[in-house]
Amino acid sequence: MKRVLIQDTNGKLKKETREFLVSLNSQLRDRGLSSEVQTLMAADIGVYNRGIALKVLPEGFTYVNLEQKHIPEIIEKTLLKGEQVAGIAREGSVGQMRIVLRNCGVIDPESLEDYIAHDGYQGLARALELGPEKVVEEMKKSGLRGRGGAGFPTWMKWNITRGVQGNEKYIICNGDEGDPGAYMDRSVLEGDPHSVIEGMMIGAIAIGATKGFFYIRAEYPLAVERIQKGIDICYSRGLLGKNILGSSFSFDIEIRLGAGAFVCGEETALIASVEGLRGYPRPRPPFPSVKGLWGNPTVINNVETLANVSYILCKGGEAFGKIGVEGSTGTKVFALTGKVRNSGLVEVPMGISLRDIVFEIGGGVLDNRAIKAIQTGGPSGGVIPEQFFDTPVGYESLQKLGSIMGSGGMIVLDENDCAVDISKFYLGFCVDESCGKCAPCRVGGTQMLAILKKISHGKAEEEDLARLSQIAQAMQKASLCGLGQTAPNPVLSTLKYFMSEYRAHVIDHKCPAGKCSSLVSYRITREKCTGCGMCARVCPADAISGSRQDKYTIDAVKCISCGQCFDVCKFTAVSRQ
Amino acid sequence: MAMTKEDLLAIKNKTLAGQPKNWIRVGYSTCGIAAGAKEVLEVLSGEVKARGLELQVKKCGCLGLCSAEPLVEVSVEGAPRVIYGKVNKDVAHKIMDEHVCQKRLVEGHIYEI
Amino acid sequence: MIIETLSADVKSVVDRWKDRRGNLITILHDIQDRYGYVPREAALEVSRQMDAPLARIYEVLTFYNYFKLQPPGKFNISVCLGTACYLKGAPALIDEIRGILHVEEGQTTKDGFFHLQIVRCLGCCGLAPVITVGDKVYSAVKRSDVMDIIAEYSKDSVKNG
Repeated sequence: MKRVLIQDTNGKLKKETREFLVSLNSQLRDRGLSSEVQTLMAADIGVYNRGIALKVLPEGFTYVNLEQKHIPEIIEKTLLKGEQVAGIAREGSVGQMRIVLRNCGVIDPESLEDYIAHDGYQGLARALELGPEKVVEEMKKSGLRGRGGAGFPTWMKWNITRGVQGNEKYIICNGDEGDPGAYMDRSVLEGDPHSVIEGMMIGAIAIGATKGFFYIRAEYPLAVERIQKGIDICYSRGLLGKNILGSSFSFDIEIRLGAGAFVCGEETALIASVEGLRGYPRPRPPFPSVKGLWGNPTVINNVETLANVSYILCKGGEAFGKIGVEGSTGTKVFALTGKVRNSGLVEVPMGISLRDIVFEIGGGVLDNRAIKAIQTGGPSGGVIPEQFFDTPVGYESLQKLGSIMGSGGMIVLDENDCAVDISKFYLGFCVDESCGKCAPCRVGGTQMLAILKKISHGKAEEEDLARLSQIAQAMQKASLCGLGQTAPNPVLSTLKYFMSEYRAHVIDHKCPAGKCSSLVSYRITREKCTGCGMCARVCPADAISGSRQDKYTIDAVKCISCGQCFDVCKFTAVSRQ
Repeated sequence: MAMTKEDLLAIKNKTLAGQPKNWIRVGYSTCGIAAGAKEVLEVLSGEVKARGLELQVKKCGCLGLCSAEPLVEVSVEGAPRVIYGKVNKDVAHKIMDEHVCQKRLVEGHIYEI
Repeated sequence: MIIETLSADVKSVVDRWKDRRGNLITILHDIQDRYGYVPREAALEVSRQMDAPLARIYEVLTFYNYFKLQPPGKFNISVCLGTACYLKGAPALIDEIRGILHVEEGQTTKDGFFHLQIVRCLGCCGLAPVITVGDKVYSAVKRSDVMDIIAEYSKDSVKNG
């Protein structure tokens, strides 16, 4: 039986799509094919902004920009003969590539057998055969760079620690996913825990570690549970403990819970936290690779990095190195969220354009609004406006634009989002999370936030804009750790690309996006008002009065600019200025 | 009993050989559970038992399309393998009635990822 | 909380982890799991049993957001303020809850039923904005939904309270 899946388009094309389906059905009936072909609406066949689109199963042909005149040919060629129709077939589709998420949604995360059936622990077996030096060699070939943010080559990190003398060495997996908007680590820990455990064991072989720690956010109880189950089953089957897989390699793992401190993403702070202390960073050098946990050589790798490691050792570094682009190999998982149609995790090869991620995979902006920018790298990253969307994704290319790859948060901002407001949000986060040890971060952040608040209330002067960048530069240069050094990035990048918006706040006392409530006023257009009174009912300040005959008006003195009347009015009678 | 390299291969082959022909996977991570995957899993497992079907219902990690959670992937003989999104109790019943039993795909909930 | 058993409770936790190096955070996690927060008496007891200054316990307790020093309400309302939730209207939800319950962030209602807290990213960004009450997650919440959600639990509290 053939199946025809028609993409459900809820926007402008809703009527045309329904008519197309009706016509297709009646032609199938006329030809007596109704019982051999099932036609149905599908929520999403992965094609966007290409008119009416459908997919035929089992062949998997996708046709786009369809009109009713195409129906006979589709029936004749594809449904009867299984051939593709030229001219309407979708071309150059952009797809995801799953390496890190290879088993997520495929295997039972609590079953060791299921993981082994999907090539699990083959990388470990190979690493034991190769020995430390060749494992590092393999990683070098792969070109893998740390997925936690900084992008330091993994092989180099391992090689340094491998070369350091020490009785005891440690490897820590950083699962304290702090970026408020990225959750790929949680997904991997929950969906494929053994891939990370295996990656950690391979790292341990490379550097000569005898003990590993998972440092996981306490806010992720399910991730903790699945990793703990994974560790327990490995012990019971001899994959952890002494003489693993009959070799001389012995290794132990335990879990340590984070307790909610963004600064613990910084390696030295994370180490302090594993030691049971408050998460204060300390000056480097000495680097953790030389002097880390309890003074011993320590490697810290991110969850996504380790999930890549087990794949690389299994499939070979060279093959991995061919994916992606020069300098940024492999794939990257992004948490695509914000004002995007398909929000979720996407894994794409490096080098794909931002536009393809947002529009081809993400399906474009929610509710068909205009896109303003995307924000990558969370509180340490920056915004990228639309003119740069064709930039290929890579560590250096994003840095050039004033943002970073970071851990993979990717937030879509639309025309209703305000540049000042979003920088205030991120900076507020960093000020909250600053540990307070060094003055540039503690004082600088607070001062910048005060200025941003002034701007969003329309009370700033022009000089404040210059002050912002001055303090930002001081923070970047003088802060002790990565948190303070990168905290000004969202502000600097919005200043760079959306200066006119800042100026509108400062000089005209207007928020062009209509987000900063003290700069926005609402009024009701009499001609459009139907007198339904919805606005008056939702107004929390009792600022709207009127009647069906007299229509409604807003009392500007009482109004608190919350915007609820604006959201609730079905007749666009409430306007925002 | 400590495992050896040969054991790994043996487990792999044995597990692969024992893979069920018909299966349903339910995305069972934090986001899926938050969106109602538990209820869906109960309905599906309950129906399989009640109808005495030879069908494995398995908890899995997240397929990634969080805005369409709970996600359920279905592969049964006689129908193409598809992923259903925004599955609630009703849709779960439909999946059993229509997809699994009648081999007809369920309207309006298929997502391509 | 029963004071008589507190000393024994703390002892069982401390004993469980006594061989683990750097165990303070782990111990405090266990205590919070048991009481829903870290009571001062428990912190004192930890200090005694571990032979560590109280300041050492509190420097850790106050540094990390996750540890609570006040007893939680019967129902904990957590509003996610991760980036996705923020952009999709979480601040308005907080306003609404404040208005209905007359509490600020980190406070418990006078009757002890509701506690409002703001959290950073629950990792369900695809379902934004998200709030949780106890273990139950509410996704894609609109301002107009808040009253109904709270009402669900208020009924409970009248019935059982």
